[in-house]
Amino acid sequence: MAFLAVLGVSPIKNALRPYRSIQQDFRRAGIARATNLKAAQVYQSRPIAIQQIWIPELDNRVDRCTTCHLGIADDAMADAPQPFRRHPTTPHTPKDFERFGCTVCHGGEGLATSIEDAHGTSPDSTSPIIPAAYAEAGCGRCHDSITVTDAPTLSQGRALMERSNCYACHAARGHEDFRSDAPPLDTIAVKTGGVWLQHWLANPKAVDANAVMPNFRLNQQEIAELSNYLFSRPVPAELQHAIDLANAEPPGDAVHGKTLFAESRCITCHTVDGKGNGSAPELGMIASRATRGWLIAFLRNPHAFNPRTRMPQYGFTDSDVRDIVAYFGDELRDFDAPKDILDPVRVNQTLAEKGAKFFKSAGCFACHAGATGESERFGPDLDGIGDRRAQSLDFGRRADLPRTLDAWLVAKISDPRSFATGLKMPTFSFDASQRRAIATALLAIPAKPVPESYRYAPPQPFAQIPAGVIGEMITRYRCLSCHQIGGKGGDTSTAALTFEGSKVNRDWLAKYLVVPYSIRPILPERMPVLKMSPAEAEKLADAIETWYVDPSVADDPFAGHPQSDRDPAEGARLYTTLGCRSCHINGGSGGYYGPPLTDTPARLKPGWVYRYLRNPQRWRADVRCPNYGLTETDALRLTAFLETPPEKKP
Amino acid sequence: MKIVRVLFVVVLVMSIGCRTKVRAPEGVVASRPSLYELEIGKKVYQRYCVGCHGDTGQGDGFNSFNLDPHPRDLSDPRFQKTKTDADLADAIRRGGAGVGLSSLMPPWGKTLDAAHVDAVVVYLRSIRRSS
Repeated sequence: MAFLAVLGVSPIKNALRPYRSIQQDFRRAGIARATNLKAAQVYQSRPIAIQQIWIPELDNRVDRCTTCHLGIADDAMADAPQPFRRHPTTPHTPKDFERFGCTVCHGGEGLATSIEDAHGTSPDSTSPIIPAAYAEAGCGRCHDSITVTDAPTLSQGRALMERSNCYACHAARGHEDFRSDAPPLDTIAVKTGGVWLQHWLANPKAVDANAVMPNFRLNQQEIAELSNYLFSRPVPAELQHAIDLANAEPPGDAVHGKTLFAESRCITCHTVDGKGNGSAPELGMIASRATRGWLIAFLRNPHAFNPRTRMPQYGFTDSDVRDIVAYFGDELRDFDAPKDILDPVRVNQTLAEKGAKFFKSAGCFACHAGATGESERFGPDLDGIGDRRAQSLDFGRRADLPRTLDAWLVAKISDPRSFATGLKMPTFSFDASQRRAIATALLAIPAKPVPESYRYAPPQPFAQIPAGVIGEMITRYRCLSCHQIGGKGGDTSTAALTFEGSKVNRDWLAKYLVVPYSIRPILPERMPVLKMSPAEAEKLADAIETWYVDPSVADDPFAGHPQSDRDPAEGARLYTTLGCRSCHINGGSGGYYGPPLTDTPARLKPGWVYRYLRNPQRWRADVRCPNYGLTETDALRLTAFLETPPEKKP
Repeated sequence: MKIVRVLFVVVLVMSIGCRTKVRAPEGVVASRPSLYELEIGKKVYQRYCVGCHGDTGQGDGFNSFNLDPHPRDLSDPRFQKTKTDADLADAIRRGGAGVGLSSLMPPWGKTLDAAHVDAVVVYLRSIRRSS
């Protein structure tokens, strides 16, 4: 009898499971939305059963989410309430449901068949659902690159983590080689003064809005100790010598310096009174931040002071540098600053020794490695952070927080010291959207990486930086601070140099390198005038023409085509009917969105123009110039028009 | 006879439709559009459209001074009312010239994929001014 009763429980239990009623709801919802009998019948005949996606090659994953989320690929469910709503269109949906399943992107417990278990809503869940606000974390589990197409929040978070030097303290897979570009602090004693340093250490952002250094919330005692330590450190002899020589030089010509400063376009990276790109220090009060001798010596050889700096070594003459620093002294200073702002600290050995210990224990050396020559990641590893169980997290004093991983991460990012006393992580000043972006990037770091076959990194064109004179120039002028070559380098400039040799005329480039001008008038960032000598520019232009080429760009795109394909008059007609002038200036009129095209004949090679017109996104996917789907003939005619010198244009 | 059968089914379908309302499990709120679509739409709009149509869609982008005819005020509720999502997507894909308007609005159908165009339409609906 008991046996029969037990036997009877199982089907009854099964019949009462919630997914069954959800599936019945789906039937009804589908029938209600059906526009014809056949569609209604399809919904009506759906079996009531557990659905699953099984992916043996992806850690033998079994996702039963589709047991309730029945409408993920159903257009009729585009605006249905959850759980039936169609999945938003993404690069992987609807086409890849079977390949990826659900939980690899969204988290959750794939095997579970109850809502609570599947969504992992309890604090001891091993795999809670990633909340929608951080959904792009899922993309980052397979996509390793910093910028991930169609995952703007994840990309922003990853870029912020690089820029904020998170990996200087925290180890993470793939970031083993990360080094901060923070300056070594071995010339502090001759660079700045005790008062300035005190302000800086108390709150870097208050001194300079562009500061990358976070706020360590130091007390007066700690500031005094650190200042004494930093001023007690011996300045390397050769740098001290350069500074001594600079100090002995006569004053410069501030008027000439001002012109040079403007010409050099320093605000492409720096700001002056907040105007400029802001990826390098604010210079509006630079003369109250650094001493004259230090500034002169630094500008002459910045890489001797900080080998990792992104700042190029300009080809200024000795007197040019003197003049620029004279301009700083005259105009770019804090007129309200105390007189002693740049007076050195008179070192107290006891405080200095305490400061040396604090420098180590607070982890300053993680970014300022140059100071001691050692570097060590002393923060907790980030590997697996995205899969930490909420129960395993230390919420400390933060009783106010929901017991979830995302809430914990956001609070850690915004106010790390609020969890307990004695914590070392400094306070960054991220806004809400930046915090969400960083939390997204952290949630993307799995305990166990997905199998190699599921990992994706965008293919990078191969391009090398040659050794020798050219490599030395590319390093000295820090081309990679703004430009990309073969996927490496910064993205301040929209123009990667990987195929520059196929793009621009060598003679134009040789002139441009000496006296660059604005190619894109709307961008505040301009190619700096690096004061390259014409001889150097010729050498570099030759090297670019030799090294950075795309073999698919023909020297003569018109070869083998009839004469009518090179008719500039037909090209001119196309230029008008396509509406090119809404974005480009050509001759007298046009928009400021794209680069002016008046100088195309001198600047751009016809083979490149033709290739570009056929597919503007060929070299860079996010180019704004639309692909008009031009035929060969139309693209050639338009090329012919653009490559016709202005005086001969029809 | 056939008509009766069809009618019967129609009534049946309708009655089921009237009778039932889909119950969403607790805590799951139906939102439309999804945050992700909206963010992608905004991202695409700000990259490709903002120069002429402006930050708020009023047709006052920095490049608009240069254009005659002037870029459309996309946030205008009257304009939005007259256009279906399909109309908007079509104009984005085929450009002004494709839908009988100014060629100064380029066609984006070969530059943006279908999901991006749809996401921009979703975003455009979200920047509609209240009338």
